[in-house]
Order: sequence, then structure tokens, then C-alpha cells
Amino acid sequence: MNHPNPKLAESFRERVTRFLFAPESDEWLARFRIGLGLQVLLYTFSLRNDWNYLLAATNPGLIGRSLSEALLFSESPLVPRLGWVTGLGARVGLDERTALSVVWWCLAFAGGMLLLGLFSRSSALLAWFVHLCAAKSGGFVTYGVDNFMTIGLFYLIFCPLPDRCSLDWRIRTSLPKSRELLGFWRRVLQLHLCLIYFFSGLTKSLGSGWWDGSNIWRALISPPFNVVPPEILVRWRYIFPIAGISVCLLEIGYPILIWLKKTRLIWLVCILAMHIGIGLAMGMYLFALIMIILNVAAFGPHLGSEQDAGITLQHKEIS
Amino acid sequence: MAWFLLHFSLIAAISCRETLLLVAHNLTILSSSFSSIAQNVDSVASTVLGQNLASSNPVRRTLLTYLHVTGIERGYGYFAPNVPGSYKLIFELHYPDGTVEYAIPEVGSAAGELRLTGLLDEIGRTRHDKLREYLVKMLARATWREHPNATTIRAVFGSLRLPTIDEFEQGAKQSYDFLYAYDFSLRHESSESETR
Repeated sequence: MNHPNPKLAESFRERVTRFLFAPESDEWLARFRIGLGLQVLLYTFSLRNDWNYLLAATNPGLIGRSLSEALLFSESPLVPRLGWVTGLGARVGLDERTALSVVWWCLAFAGGMLLLGLFSRSSALLAWFVHLCAAKSGGFVTYGVDNFMTIGLFYLIFCPLPDRCSLDWRIRTSLPKSRELLGFWRRVLQLHLCLIYFFSGLTKSLGSGWWDGSNIWRALISPPFNVVPPEILVRWRYIFPIAGISVCLLEIGYPILIWLKKTRLIWLVCILAMHIGIGLAMGMYLFALIMIILNVAAFGPHLGSEQDAGITLQHKEIS
Repeated sequence: MAWFLLHFSLIAAISCRETLLLVAHNLTILSSSFSSIAQNVDSVASTVLGQNLASSNPVRRTLLTYLHVTGIERGYGYFAPNVPGSYKLIFELHYPDGTVEYAIPEVGSAAGELRLTGLLDEIGRTRHDKLREYLVKMLARATWREHPNATTIRAVFGSLRLPTIDEFEQGAKQSYDFLYAYDFSLRHESSESETR
């Protein structure tokens, strides 16, 4: 069946393609890779003392991962889990404790390699797999930061690595990357963030506590997020309604105002300030960091000129 | 392009579903008349996500695998629509000589503490009594390892009641409402529970 207006249809298709595959430099990808490498490293070191305790199947585990792995298996037997790794370790004579330590070192190693940009794609794949195993097996002891790390690492695997800031680029002869492909994966990240903030803002707006500020108060005094003493918080009580409404507006407005040239920078700064505030006032440092990394990679301004990036890529192509 | 459309349709469907569930359960400021509409729309979103298929259905399993490996299996309603209350678990450790000690589940880092809080929230929110009992029992076991001489443990699970700003200014502090209690005995590893 022919479209009633083929020109219009063609034009729409072209516009979508132009939007999705807009040429980009790899500056954002460098930020994304370095940020995720740092995040993975901090994640592993923050859990160093509790790694075995949280993720062991039996002794000396907190709740054991058997139930979460069984529930996961009932949903799908193909989702990676630590049981695969410890099972493999058992075959070569490693006890569970040692196998879990090896997993921890693998994740720390992958994070370090990502940070440096050595074997970038393999490191991204390793980090994604090991982190996913830990996040899925520790189902009852995971929270939002694990989802955002999985999302980020999954996209990073498919991004056109390595970027110009990586050691891979400097040491090994890398072919220049398609700027359209770089643009596509940045769009994917941008659009995903838009959906995240829109729905986060929408669900918050449906709660009365965000309009009168009581949710801000509750969030800040609820353990273990009560980093700031309530005696200090109460002095700022008149700011809470403004802060609550601002959070809703910032998040709901994100999918539109982050795209407009005039508002992009201010919106980005406000969103980053919100996450820094959450990190400092609620002690959710890792959550704040992953959101900052995703935002800076997706919508951070170009620090080097666009022209320079093009010349560098072209130069590499000729050589 | 097909992957792009599928991927973002799934993210949108999951996020919509989460929002609709909040409306359907009357947890929002919307009037209850929206509840039935939300329930109807939710059934559409559930179908899109393969929730109505049998758990062994390969389409459903493939979809769930994809959602898990991409990290998009849940929505983004953090601290929404309202900041939920938190929970506390206290263990009463009884020794053969009649001594009683109190302990709480502990981890060794601030990052672990955040995860433990999530676990207590899960215990508090679940509607499945068996799951709640299992998780409390596992936590009791972990505490028992630290206190091997205790003969029985009573686990008391409560919800934290946070004061409003006005109440706080009038001197009110956080308090706990009793929800459940479980008695565990080391010898039989059995439990008896009592609820509010």
C-alpha cells in the first residue's frame, strides 16, 4: 500500500535518521567510558568488606543468594548469576569464598581497565557480565544504582570503542570510528535518560508529599539516609516545598528542556546539582555518581571544538 | 532501527505499567475513579510485556532475559509517589543463663548499609508471609553466627514512624510500630510467628 503522501513519509524517515545518526565526536564516549570505569572501581571497593557476606550462597552469608537465584531461574535460566561462576570454580577446585574473591578482583580489574581504556570493549563486556552476576544474584540487596550501572555498561559494550582518550587508541592501531554510530549511541543514552526522568518526575508528581515538601523531609530523616541531623534540617523547613516542586519540575521538564539550546546547560547544571545534593545529603554517593556520569556523557557540552575532533579522526583515517 | 524501537517500547511499557499500578492501587493524589481506568490500561501493558503468558513460555522467558541483561526490568519511580516508610529488625538473643541481649543485622560498610535497608524494605513490603519469614530466618542465622551461645532468638520486625516537621518541633522522635515477631530455636531451627 502506498503512503498517501510519499514525500512527507520520506521526509519524516529522513528526519528521524538524521536525528538518530547525527555525527558526533567521541568526546562523550571518553567521558562515558572513564566515568563507568570509575564507577565500577568505586562500586567494588565500597563493597570490599561485605562482598562475600552479601553474596555467599550459604555460610557466612547475610541471607544467602540461593533464593534470589532460584527466583531468577524461574523467570529465566539464561540471566547471568554468580552460581555459574562459583559452579565453574568448584570444578577447578575453588571453594565459594575464593571464587567470590576472584569475581571481586575481576570486577575491580575490569573497572581499572575501563578507566585506562585498555582493551576497552573486552573490559566493558567483563565489567557488565560480572556486575550483572553480582546484581542478579544479590537480588534482595540491590537498589537503583545496580540498574543504572547495568544500563550504562550494556550500552558501552556496543559503543564504537576505543575513543581517542583511551590507551587503546594510543598504543594500538585503531581504525577511525563512524561518527554517525557515535551519534546513534549518544542518542540512545540521551533518549533513555529522558524516559527515566520523565517517569521519575511523573510518579513523584502523583504523590502529595512532593508538593508540600514533606517527602524531602521524610527522605532526609529516614535512616540510613539521615546524614544531616534533623535539628539542622528543620531550620530549612520553608525550602522543602520549593525543593520538592523543583525536583518534580526538573524531572518532568527534562525530556523537553534538555534539548533546547537556551535551556540545555541550565537544566543540566540543575540536574547535576540535584544529584550532588542527593549524594551529599543522603549519603547515596554511588547513585549520585552514576547519574552524573550518564548525564555528563549524554548532554555534557563539547569541551574541545567539533572541528578539532573531525580533523583528528580524519588524520587518523589517512595515516 | 528495529532494535531501537523494541528497546524503547519496552522501557516505556515498563515505566507506564509501574505508574499505572500506583494509580490502580490508589497510592496517588488522583481520585479513585482513575483506579479502574488504570487497571484496564495496565492489562494492556502487561500483555505487551508478556506477563499474561505462562512462566515457561519461551517468548516470555526471552523477553525477561533481555530486560534483565539490559537493566530495564524495572521502572524509575524512586521515592515515588511518596517516600516510603522504613523498617527495623531487632533480635532478642536469649542465653542459657537467662541473659538477654539485643542485636540488629549488621554489615561492614556504608554501601552495605544501603543494601541492608533495601532488604528490610523488601521484608516489610512483601505480601508473602513465607518469604518474609524465610528472609527474617536467614538474617537471624547470620546474627546467630556472631552469638553462637544464644539458644533462642526472637526477631521483632517493626515499621519506623517518622515525625512530621511540626511534630519534630514539638519534641516528637522516631518511633516503631510492631509488625511481626518470630521465635527461632537453634536446636530445632523452627520458628513460630506472631503478628500485630
